[in-house]
Amino acid sequence: MRRVVITGYGVNSSFGFGADSLQKGLEQNRSGIRRADELLECGGLQCKIAACVGEYNINVIPRQYRRSMGRVAHLGALAALEAVEHCGATPAMISAPRTGCIMSSTMGSASELHATFDTIFTEKSMSSVSGMQFFKCASHTVAMNVAQMLGIHGSVLSPSAACASSMQAIGLGFQLIRGGILDMALCGGAEEVNSMVVGSFESIFAAAPGARNDNPETASRPFDLQRDGLVCGEGAGVIVLESLDSALARNAAIFGEVVGYNTSASGSHISQSDSTSIRDCINAALCDANISSREIDYVSAHATGTVQGDASEADALCQVFGGNTPVSSLKGGLGHTMGASGAIELAACLMMMRDGVIYPTRNLEQPAEDCSGLNHIQQQTSAEINCFIKNCFAFGGINAVLVCRRFNA
Amino acid sequence: MTDCDIRSKIKEVFVKNFELDENKIQDDKLLFDDLGLDSLDIVDLIVGLQRVFKIDLRKYSEIKSIRTFGDVCNVMNKIINEQKTDGMNKTSDEQK
Repeated sequence: MRRVVITGYGVNSSFGFGADSLQKGLEQNRSGIRRADELLECGGLQCKIAACVGEYNINVIPRQYRRSMGRVAHLGALAALEAVEHCGATPAMISAPRTGCIMSSTMGSASELHATFDTIFTEKSMSSVSGMQFFKCASHTVAMNVAQMLGIHGSVLSPSAACASSMQAIGLGFQLIRGGILDMALCGGAEEVNSMVVGSFESIFAAAPGARNDNPETASRPFDLQRDGLVCGEGAGVIVLESLDSALARNAAIFGEVVGYNTSASGSHISQSDSTSIRDCINAALCDANISSREIDYVSAHATGTVQGDASEADALCQVFGGNTPVSSLKGGLGHTMGASGAIELAACLMMMRDGVIYPTRNLEQPAEDCSGLNHIQQQTSAEINCFIKNCFAFGGINAVLVCRRFNA
Repeated sequence: MTDCDIRSKIKEVFVKNFELDENKIQDDKLLFDDLGLDSLDIVDLIVGLQRVFKIDLRKYSEIKSIRTFGDVCNVMNKIINEQKTDGMNKTSDEQK
C-alpha cells in the first residue's frame, strides 16, 4: 500500500482567514465565541451565541462559480483556494484525472434552505425559486462547488456524517490514495451557523443554555466540571492529501503523514456514541497505523462540552492511553465547527507538531470527575509531537479517528 | 409603464443578477456569446423578471425564443401589453 502525506492545508474560522490566523488565535488562547443574535433570531431558541466567521470578500471567486454557492460553500471554497496555494500544485495537477475533491458539511447551506422554503411558503409557488438554489442546498454543495471552481476531474465525494463529516472525508481520501485509486485529494469540510443547526442541538439539550449568553467566551467548556452544552461554530478546513511518490516527484513540502484511520458506529443510540465503540475505533485506527498507543504524543479530542459526549470520550481515552498522554480539545475557543471540525482541528494539530507545542483546552478550569484520569492540557505546553490522533464523533453514534505522524523519509 | 421604463427595469435585473456593466447591455448583444450568460442564468433571468413585473413568465412560450437583450425587451413589452389589453377587456366585460 502507498504512503499518504499532507502537502497543504487551508483554514478559516472565527479566528479569521488562513492557517496563520488559526495558529495565532490558539497561541493567544482566544475565544471566537460571541453574541450572534442576528444569526440566531428564530423564536424559541435560547442559545444566542456562536463562533462566527467575520466578513469576507467572496468576489475573489468569479461569478460563474460563486453563483451556485451558499455561505457554507463560500467558506469551503476560500479554504480550498488557500490549500491549493499552500500545496504548490500546478493547475494541471489539480485537474488531473487522479486528483479528487472530498468535502462535506452537516447539510447544504442552512441559510439558503431557509430562504428557499421562505420563498415557497410565502409565495406559495415554486416559480420564484432561483435555479441556483438546489446547488446551494444540496448535501454535497461544498464538494461540487469546490470541484467546479478548481476544475477537478477525479472523484468528487461528500460523505456527510454530521460532525464527523470532514474527518470521514479525510479518512476516505487517505484510503483512496493509499489504495492507489487517487494520487491527490483535497479533503475536508465546511459549516455555517444558522438557527436550524443550533436548534438541532438545543432541542436535545446539547447546546449551551441561554444562561451562558451573557458570557460567550466562557460558555464552551470541554471536560470541565461546569460544562453544560456545546456552542456552534463555523468555518472550513481543507487538507491536501497526496501519495508520497507524487509529493516527492514534485519536491513538495510535507507537513505530516497520515498513517491510520478508522470509522465505526456505536449501533446503540441515534444522538451519541459510547465509550466502548469510541475505544474500539481508536484501537482500530492505531492498528491500521501499526502503532501502539504508547507512541501517541498527543490526542486532539472531539470533546465539545456536552455532559455525556465528553464523559464517554474521556472514558475511552482512559482505557486506551491511561493518564499520561496529553489531551486537549480546541472547541473551548473555536466552538464546535461541526462538519468542519475534523479538518480545522487537524490543521491545528499539524501546526502544533511543527511548532512543538500543545494548545490547551480553553475554559477547562476543573476537570469533571467523569472526565478525570487524563493528562488534560490546561496551559500551553511545549512538547515534541511525533505522532497524534484526531477524534471526531457525530449524530448517528458515528466515530472517526485519524492517526498522523511527523514525516520521515 | 412606458417601453423605456420596462427596458430600464430589465436592465436593472441584468446588472443585479449577472454583475454586468450597464453600458455593455445593448439590444444586439447575444445573451450567451456577448453577455456571458448560460442556461442556468436564463432560469434566474426569468425569476428576476417575474419578481419585478409580477408576471408568471413560464406560461408564455415566447420567453423561450430570447437570444439577445433586445429580444428580452421585445418579449416583455409584448407580454406586458397583452396583459394590459386582457385587463381592459375584462373590465369592459364586467361593466357590460
